[in-house]
Amino acid sequence: MLTGELVRPRLVQHGTTLEVKTLRDADRAWLRTAGDLITLWERHTGRTRDAWESAVEEYLGDRVDYIIVRGLAKVLADAATFASPTTLITPEDLRQQLFAAGPAFETRDLFHPQTRHDRLATIAAQLEIAPDALEAALYADRIGAQTITEAGRDWTPAELIARYNLELHRGVLYWSNLMEVQIHDTFKDFWRYLKLFKLMFEAYPIEGGYHVTLDGPISPFVRSTTRYGQQFAAFLPALFLCERWSMRATIRNSKFDRELIYRLDHTAPLTSHFTRSGDFDSRMEADFAAEFQDKLGDARGKWLLTREDEVLLLGDTVMIPDFAFTHQDDGRRALVEIVGFWHPDYLKRKLAKVRAAGRDDLILLVYEGVNLTGEKLDDVPGEILYFATKPVIKEVMAAVERRAR
Amino acid sequence: MTDSPTLSFQGGTLVIAHLKADQPPGDPFQWIKGKWRCEAYHYPDVNVDGVRDTVPRWQPLNCQLDDSRVSHDFQNEAIDAWESAGRRGSIVLPTGAGKTFVAVQAIHRANRSALIVAPTIDLLHQWYARLSNALNTEVGVYYGAEKQVRPLTVTTYHSAGNLIAEHGNTFKMIVFDEVHHLPAPSWGETALMSPSPFRLGLTATYPEDHEMENGRWHIDRLIGPIVYQKRVSDLIGKRLADYRTQRIRVDLNKEERAAYEADFAIYAGFFRSRRLRETHGANWLLELMRLSAFERDARAALLARHRILRLLAGCEGKLDALAQLLREHISEQILIFTESNDTVYELSRRHLIPALTHETKAAERKRLLEAFREGTYPALVTSKVLNEGVDVPEAKVAIVLGGTSSAREYIQRLGRVLRKTGNLEAVLYEVIARDTVDEGRAQRRRPKAGTV
Repeated sequence: MLTGELVRPRLVQHGTTLEVKTLRDADRAWLRTAGDLITLWERHTGRTRDAWESAVEEYLGDRVDYIIVRGLAKVLADAATFASPTTLITPEDLRQQLFAAGPAFETRDLFHPQTRHDRLATIAAQLEIAPDALEAALYADRIGAQTITEAGRDWTPAELIARYNLELHRGVLYWSNLMEVQIHDTFKDFWRYLKLFKLMFEAYPIEGGYHVTLDGPISPFVRSTTRYGQQFAAFLPALFLCERWSMRATIRNSKFDRELIYRLDHTAPLTSHFTRSGDFDSRMEADFAAEFQDKLGDARGKWLLTREDEVLLLGDTVMIPDFAFTHQDDGRRALVEIVGFWHPDYLKRKLAKVRAAGRDDLILLVYEGVNLTGEKLDDVPGEILYFATKPVIKEVMAAVERRAR
Repeated sequence: MTDSPTLSFQGGTLVIAHLKADQPPGDPFQWIKGKWRCEAYHYPDVNVDGVRDTVPRWQPLNCQLDDSRVSHDFQNEAIDAWESAGRRGSIVLPTGAGKTFVAVQAIHRANRSALIVAPTIDLLHQWYARLSNALNTEVGVYYGAEKQVRPLTVTTYHSAGNLIAEHGNTFKMIVFDEVHHLPAPSWGETALMSPSPFRLGLTATYPEDHEMENGRWHIDRLIGPIVYQKRVSDLIGKRLADYRTQRIRVDLNKEERAAYEADFAIYAGFFRSRRLRETHGANWLLELMRLSAFERDARAALLARHRILRLLAGCEGKLDALAQLLREHISEQILIFTESNDTVYELSRRHLIPALTHETKAAERKRLLEAFREGTYPALVTSKVLNEGVDVPEAKVAIVLGGTSSAREYIQRLGRVLRKTGNLEAVLYEVIARDTVDEGRAQRRRPKAGTV
């Protein structure tokens, strides 16, 4: 991610709202600059961070748009892998040996019969390492001495600009104390990433989706905190996985004398680099959906099957049932969750969630291999259907008819 | 099995799980996001019957105190006062009166896992060294470059929030060094997020009430009131040793002079034509930086300034003068200061002497300073790390190459280097380039009359 000083100068205030100046991705001049940087970057694979940074400064010359160019360069470096060079002796040990005899000088005098050169040669001989290698190892543990071991990815100029723009949007959130989001699809990935970035949330359903407020545990007590800004920024690309979404964040930055509102939605030309989970979590879900489509799909049935289109909000966690059935005439709905491949702990957690949901329109399809005692399942609301090898569509649909509301 | 109500520590807050909305546990808990919650600093006052308490993760330290220093009466009084106040509150002592010593004793007597919060990385390293030595134990450090949490850990105000959010309940005691920084909004938050019942603040300058309102935190509220205070006049003053300042002017060589004049013309031309100092006073540099993002002339001036500073930091005359001074004072402890990190490493390579910068890791830094103190290393080259309140080992000679223009820094460097030097006269050499901005800079660096 970009540092604050590469983002701040790009922020502009419009009344009570905040905007960030991104680059137009079709801008010829910027495509050329991005292309130059990519070429320069490719030439620096295997070289040091210091070498890369001075090459960027040299390329910059006296250009006034250095904040943007440095930002583009940072995006390139951030995607790469750096590693400290391996040395025959650890730099700290070497320093201890080389410095033990006090200051060294280029020329001899009465008190210093050994020159710097002599000292290096002596230690080099003792260690059986060439003097040049000693010089190289002396401060090989500094950050600037790290070499670029993997370039990260192959960039096109347009991709680099797109990613830079994304990082600017992310950067705005560094100074955010609250982020509110409305999503209308792709719920599972959204919640998966929320969890990954350890964000607290509060959600309620709205027409065709959810309104989610993001913050951290201490936020309700200190509204001024921007402690979670970094996490909001890290999380942001998860939103771009959704088809329809909008985001509103409050921003406090000393550049502006008041709290400002920052808005983004799905019309922004942003693509996520986060991975989307597959269509189905398991083979069983895929098979079930395929069989339903085959036997009852399209015009042949009254029930429409959709995937993960409803979220059960359970306090500080959520459950997203695998399928929802919606009656095409009267709109009645029932939810279906397949409990297949399992682990005792996983199952316990799942059942606790189901119990907490208290929804009797939820149908659990359990494989017989699942070893549950009858008494534990008694207080699970809704239906439980057992299957030896795979769910029988007819039985499932009968349960859907019974439970839908 | 029904789950019983449980109190836990979560990201700087206390949360009661399995207690319903209609079972209020009383103040200070609030029903937020489906749970009863409050800020963690209420922990010592929280007393909820029938709720299982899983907050404390603290443990005894059982360290051996190994500090050969004899404590002064006022130091013992301070610790006694803090303990009788329920191990809460601040001790206010003048600079140099041994606040660190007081804290080490207090930690040892409390004998519980403790977190120390210091304002700068330099001070963090100093605490690390002091605690490792005095308590004979592994000490954790937690800041940008290193993150290890141990029962005794040192962090910075900047990193404390993240550390406390994750591990706040590991420490029964929390010490805020230079506690006058705590009223700052985001720094005070860290005290709010900590459940530690034992809280100690240390400072020489406790803020006035009016400095702790309007969005700023009040220290009394976060860690307790002042429990002990002594002014300089109350203590027998420790006089600074006598020292003399020797200014050495060196000439730029021919190429350096030509490069300097060319860049100075660009820089000074812009500076004067825009009257930056008249329009922006002390903020002229910030304004120059701001302008440089859209005006080519400003950018050129800024670049010229960078080149000038780089040239002056490592010009031949200064390097020669340094070599000469090193030879002259070879039997004494010599500290070399220079503003630029790059120059520090250049000089370290050139003379094979240890370098100390913000990049130096805690363990190596400790080893270097100790070796310098013992005389194993007669010379040490450093950039800014020895500023502000950091205990620098005694040195007879200080050599300043470059250096920033703040008078305060200059005094502090001086006072530190030349402290307790015995009978030998201490010297501070200031090496500047003749007829360059160095002369003006060095002039400004001289303290105003009466401030030493």
